[in-house]
Amino acid sequence: MNTVYLDNAATTRIAPEVLEAMLPFFRDQFGNPSSFHSFGSSHMKAIERARGQVARLLGAKAEEIYFTSGGTESDNQALRGAVKINSARRGIVTSAVEHPAVIETAKALEEDGCTLGIAEVNRNGELDLESLKTLVNQQTAIVSIMAANNETGVIMPLAKAAEITHEAGALFHTDAVQMVGKSPIDVHSLKIDILSLSAHKLHGPKGVGAIYIRKGIDLPPLLTGGHQEKGIRSGTYNAPGIVGLGKAAELSLTHLKGTVATERKLRESFEKRILEGCPGSFVVAADADRRLPGTVTIIFKGIESEAVLTLLDMQGIYASSGSACSTGSKNPSHVLYAMGVDYTQANSALRFSLSRYTTEEEIDRTVELLATVVERLRRISPYIE
Amino acid sequence: MWQYSEILMDHFMNPRNVGKLDAPDGHSEVGSPQCGDAMYLDIDIDDQGNIADIAFKTFGCAGAIASASALTEMSRGLPVEEALKIRNSQIAEYLGGMPPEKFHCSVMGHQALKAAVEDFRTKCDEISTILNEIGITPVLVRPGRVYLKSGDDAEQVTKILEEKIERKISVEVK
Repeated sequence: MNTVYLDNAATTRIAPEVLEAMLPFFRDQFGNPSSFHSFGSSHMKAIERARGQVARLLGAKAEEIYFTSGGTESDNQALRGAVKINSARRGIVTSAVEHPAVIETAKALEEDGCTLGIAEVNRNGELDLESLKTLVNQQTAIVSIMAANNETGVIMPLAKAAEITHEAGALFHTDAVQMVGKSPIDVHSLKIDILSLSAHKLHGPKGVGAIYIRKGIDLPPLLTGGHQEKGIRSGTYNAPGIVGLGKAAELSLTHLKGTVATERKLRESFEKRILEGCPGSFVVAADADRRLPGTVTIIFKGIESEAVLTLLDMQGIYASSGSACSTGSKNPSHVLYAMGVDYTQANSALRFSLSRYTTEEEIDRTVELLATVVERLRRISPYIE
Repeated sequence: MWQYSEILMDHFMNPRNVGKLDAPDGHSEVGSPQCGDAMYLDIDIDDQGNIADIAFKTFGCAGAIASASALTEMSRGLPVEEALKIRNSQIAEYLGGMPPEKFHCSVMGHQALKAAVEDFRTKCDEISTILNEIGITPVLVRPGRVYLKSGDDAEQVTKILEEKIERKISVEVK
């Protein structure tokens, strides 16, 4: 059975070029880049090349990029580090729709005595800048606003949020895990101080990511140890992972200059055809100013999303949902809740996330099957006459 | 994806007893707004007090749909009291097992059955009270039909019931 993978916001397939670039570092080039001998230290060149590749994707300088184990670690370092810089600034401000890596870290810091402000989003899932303004003040250490939301694909007004943050003299961090490689992001024009990214969301390997820290910011390390990465992030270099991230970043830059337009068109036609094929469905945050090219959440009136996922899965089509049932949690998506979507609708929401590898045939198959599945489940739904 | 048994998947893919009954003896609408799940259940009760027909509609995951289907299959033909005693663990067993996280999905079916039986009893009580007021002791009362003793005036009872209850009720002398 041919499978259709439409869960690229969760993770992506590794690009063949990325795997090829990594393999030598799993085989013969196993030396420790921090070693004195040339067998290991020669790999430092590959590490630095990767640093340059990541920097170019962000419009940053190579020296502003530090390799980490992924988005969660980078987010932790940003928040936990920022509140240590100045004892007079212990406040964290974030938004209601952040990834748990940010929200849970912020809550943990609140328990440790930091203050926490959570800015609201509007019905389109966009950050409410007025709400943000009321929360940021002279005690704020860091404002953390995601670049793009993982469920809705809504792109946040980062430049304006950064401006509000800087007016109060605080640091601006963005969890750009969903954005990097999928939509252009420039740390200088957006005035971002700290940025988190993860390799596996851009067709790179899992377990590696990076943190961008603007030059001049003295962000304390999360991990102490052998002083790798100028002491900002200790731990033996994950050479294959870092090389893979570098290659993935390079390929993403090419993608953003070309194939991204195809991906966007495919997603737009996907949305349109689903709405036609399954009447009574609607796209979440359809009216947002900007959304990611490949991510869409659709609410299918009257049916529970886990049931849909199960029927799709049986036919080899993989998507995801934020329903309470599928995640085993008590409540459905906090993102949709923050946008004012009610529980029943939130439990009817499915997320499809495309990639540059998604084909028209895959979309055709998904649209066709969805219409059947939705019709089938609606026949037994109490909400549908 | 959850590990579902073949039987459970069959009940999810081909749920039994889906739909609505025409003028059911008992109807219920239950749900958990938090979970977003909802279920409508209709039952008909025969002269012996057994569940003669049953139909449901549900909004829920594969586990909830399969549990509802199983419960309706298990309840059909049973005396009301027996059907109410069906436990979640029995539903899980009937379905060839269920992931423990999904046990709560089968609770809704039980709530729906209980509420439908309550609706049935309320409707019967309503009729019995009216009959009692006019000094009639019926042989049998169901929400849609009443059997009277020979000598009672079926026509007049029909008229009185129709006036007080906005529902079609057939009245016969047995």
